Amino acid sequence: MALYSCGRSTLLAAHIPVYDFLAPSLINITRSTRSVRHLSTSAASNAQDASSNTPGSDAQSHPKRPSKPLTQAQRDFLTSALRVNQAGELAATLIYAAQTPPIVKAHPHLRPLMKHMYDQEAGHFDTFNSLLAKHRIRPTAMYPLWTVAASALGWGTALLGREAAMACTEAVETEIGDHYNGQLRYLLDMIEGMESRGEVIGEDLRELVGTIRRIRDEELEHLDHAVENDAKKAVPHELLTGVIRAGCKGAIWISEKV
Amino acid sequence: MASKSTTGLFLRGFISTPKPRCSARPYHSYTHPPPPGPFTPVETAILSASLPHIPTHGFTHTTLSLGAKDASYIDASTNLFPRGAFSIVHYHLVTQRAALSKHKHILETSSQPGAKPPGIGAKVKALVWERLMANKGVIHRWQEALALMAQPSNIPTSISELSSLSDEIWFLAGDTSVDSSWYTKRASLATIYASTELFMTTDKSPDYSKTREFMDRRFEDSRVLGTVVGSVAEWVGFTAHAGLNVMRSKGVRV
Repeated sequence: MALYSCGRSTLLAAHIPVYDFLAPSLINITRSTRSVRHLSTSAASNAQDASSNTPGSDAQSHPKRPSKPLTQAQRDFLTSALRVNQAGELAATLIYAAQTPPIVKAHPHLRPLMKHMYDQEAGHFDTFNSLLAKHRIRPTAMYPLWTVAASALGWGTALLGREAAMACTEAVETEIGDHYNGQLRYLLDMIEGMESRGEVIGEDLRELVGTIRRIRDEELEHLDHAVENDAKKAVPHELLTGVIRAGCKGAIWISEKV
Repeated sequence: MASKSTTGLFLRGFISTPKPRCSARPYHSYTHPPPPGPFTPVETAILSASLPHIPTHGFTHTTLSLGAKDASYIDASTNLFPRGAFSIVHYHLVTQRAALSKHKHILETSSQPGAKPPGIGAKVKALVWERLMANKGVIHRWQEALALMAQPSNIPTSISELSSLSDEIWFLAGDTSVDSSWYTKRASLATIYASTELFMTTDKSPDYSKTREFMDRRFEDSRVLGTVVGSVAEWVGFTAHAGLNVMRSKGVRV
């Protein structure tokens, strides 16, 4: 999914050897339909798709309770994964919250988009908050630090202008998309391994896979929005996204540990 | 397990979640059964048989040997416990922490219609009191246990048990905060519990009424401090936001 947007442009470039904005709208028809997005925050359909993709979701038909406890390694993974996800969504909410006032003032037409992205992030944050409380996981000790850093990042990039703000979104959502994909890969491997050993998999694990899948897709949708809104035109684009991505990686690494 | 947590650095117990298997904290699953506790069945048999001997023999090796005898194991089986008498203390702490979830009358909201359900604060207080009362039978020997817990090699386990207890109480009381207050709540509750427990070892008043007053005062102090910190934080946040909005209304591009 992370490759989706670039995959699309390379595909276009392969077929049409001209800049795609020069091509007549007839040829570019896929693009124009895609750029009309309805900004609905509820992604119930995505969630359903996700759960139906989950391998072996027919387990719902026989409600056998898992007999084996999760291993230490599995619980460690789940603990740090949920903790880092909550920290990430906290940061994302704060970035959008800090970006919105300056951006909306300069570009009022972006108000619905910013609100839509903020609402989705707030929903993700709530999801992980309740998961942390439910599974008794310690939140990251860096909570106050991430609060300050994320607000400063959002506000700073918004002051640099629309392109920089969108480049920030692009960088953050790229990292987050990769991060969620990594988690999904691990979780699906884990579930596959448990199934091959004949263990019953708890409903909470299946739900978690569905939740992360849905949230990952929404984050990558934000990435597409950012690219559509000229993220690539930010002036030191490579520098800006490079620094932000490195920062994200560092923050993820730290939040997994403490 | 024993070697792992005893050789763990002292600081480790503070900074990261210590890895003892006894801690209920990492990923509490509702569908998968809980992981095994810190004691094997044999150890559990010996330790639980030791408990009745604590009031007479204290937290000592004698108690452990008597327990082994009562559980029909040979005397040498106390070698199962490289930490000696501390194992009894640890067992007591773990079992009494687990017993907290059995206090249904505190945890369940009152069945009488119209009665105001107790708040989280009231539940926390009631649970702390129940936990203190669980020490009633051994309180005249409890200073021995405190001495064992304060030995350098036992400190990581003791700290981890204290924080597990604090976590358990907040969880059972139904607290769901997962921000920085997660840390302050657990730290303040652990402090209150530890100090009240120490106070209780010297309390000779009937029904531990002095301990009760001491605990109420600690909770009140903590509440006042929390209110002050909260008010200051609220004031700072409000002023910063108001200042920013004034600047925006003057046309400053921030």
